[in-house]
Amino acid sequence: MLKHRTRQTLLLWCFLAPSLAIFLLYRVMPVVWNFVLSFQYWSPLKPAEFAGFDHYEDLWYDDVFWQALWNTLLVIASAPIGIALALGLALLVNAEIRCRDVYRTIIFLSYPLMTVAVAIIWRWMFDERVGLINYVARSLHLVDKPIPFLNSFTWALPSVIAANIWQMLGFYMIILLTGLQSIPHELHEAAAIDGASSWRRLRSITLPLLRPSIFLAFVVGMLNSITSFDLVYVMTGGGPGRATEILVTYIYKLGFVQTKFDEAAAVTIVFFVLLIVTAWAANRLAGGNAGAAEIE
Amino acid sequence: MNRYPRWPIHLALIMASFVMLVPFYWVAKTSVSGENIYAYPPSIIPTRVQPFFYVDVWYAIPFARYFLNSLAVSVIAVIANVIFNAMAGYALTHGFRGKNVVLMLFLSCMMVPFQATIIPAYLITGKLGLLDSWLGLALPQCSTIICIFIFKASFDAVPRSLIDAARIDGLPEWRIIWHIMMPLSTAAIATNVILAFIWSWNNFLWPLIMTRSADMQTLPLGLARFLSYQEDTTGALYAFCIMVLAPGLLLFLLAQKEFIRGLTSGATKG
Repeated sequence: MLKHRTRQTLLLWCFLAPSLAIFLLYRVMPVVWNFVLSFQYWSPLKPAEFAGFDHYEDLWYDDVFWQALWNTLLVIASAPIGIALALGLALLVNAEIRCRDVYRTIIFLSYPLMTVAVAIIWRWMFDERVGLINYVARSLHLVDKPIPFLNSFTWALPSVIAANIWQMLGFYMIILLTGLQSIPHELHEAAAIDGASSWRRLRSITLPLLRPSIFLAFVVGMLNSITSFDLVYVMTGGGPGRATEILVTYIYKLGFVQTKFDEAAAVTIVFFVLLIVTAWAANRLAGGNAGAAEIE
Repeated sequence: MNRYPRWPIHLALIMASFVMLVPFYWVAKTSVSGENIYAYPPSIIPTRVQPFFYVDVWYAIPFARYFLNSLAVSVIAVIANVIFNAMAGYALTHGFRGKNVVLMLFLSCMMVPFQATIIPAYLITGKLGLLDSWLGLALPQCSTIICIFIFKASFDAVPRSLIDAARIDGLPEWRIIWHIMMPLSTAAIATNVILAFIWSWNNFLWPLIMTRSADMQTLPLGLARFLSYQEDTTGALYAFCIMVLAPGLLLFLLAQKEFIRGLTSGATKG
């Protein structure tokens, strides 16, 4: 007969076991395996051989890799645009107006949608001949000829980013709104009595107190946008040429189209490092307590 | 201080709502009319409304089969999520040896996006012999860290005295979870169900990698394949879009509160 306390501990570990097993299998092991694989010559039919830094060296001379990395950085850099728009919307729906729940629902509506369908919708909107955007632009005489958004080297990536912002906007807004609502009313009232204008209150009370939420939105948004495989894959497939290739689509193509699992693993490691560096930098900027750092 | 005019706010929000809704309208319109696929200028209001494209979808692809696959995978993921997350959440409400290690592990796992694991995940699933099966499709999503913490927060709010009383009455731990904790945590359960369902229903990358046979394809995969051989020349594609979006949209509108609570508690608590 075990002691009661030991038995209790054992039982709790049993409760944790299924979740732990899934995370070990699909989170921890893949990270380790990716790392190992990136230093090996390996394909499903060959035994592994030590490769040293060969795959990383290949990447150094691989133009497509640099293009994908650059595009990924551009996508990360676009996150603040979405957050700025969402901040405006959050301030508006936080005002005491009628129907604000309706506005909130409508703006949030695009977030839970299947991204593949969203991508098809936006392909249609951006279409060269009959897309709505070209139609509006032509009707307003902004352009003479329709722009082939998704087939143009200049416009393809901005178009994908725009679709991504459209889908994520409501999510950013909800995070910021939660932050706004946690700011005590008394602060605003006191400042108003002291004669602070609403612009001044926004700058001196709302924005500083909202800082953690803004950076949280950035971290989550960054994670969401650099992993937006579905959108890129369906809207452009990485093209034209490699104009919208991002690291995740390149990993997929290397691994599952060209079956170069080992090289794809090396790209994954680079991707992973980029992710951690960006999250760390955002966390530092936020004053060290945004994101996952404070659960207990 | 409440004297400012409201109409500029309404105006701005109506414009924003318009931008958010127009794409839906455009696709819905094309799916019932099929016009302006070739025509220019496009008409704003559909003139000939007919449901033929929806019927087309039904015959052009094995829609029922895709639907069944999507549903089966989502149901497995939802049931597994509720059970596993509740168990793990309950364990985390206690202090025990090694708890800090588990918490550290969970927190670091949250930083690993699924997209960064696809190659080993595929190889591991292959080793388990689960490629091209419902279980294999659902397995990586069968437990979610955010949802574990949602359960933990909800269980933490249950009064200690209630649990102690149950212990004194000699109830085993699993019955405490089932008969006391779960009935008091319906909100957490709802959040779990809806998040797990939406994530699994919308998932594209994982089915894309690991399904081989046409019989195992899920709806998002079917939609992407449909696009690749129709090359957006038909209203059926947009009818398919609407058919795929409808269940998720409906569920979201019904359980909006739980959904948003889940996301924001995930967001504010990590």
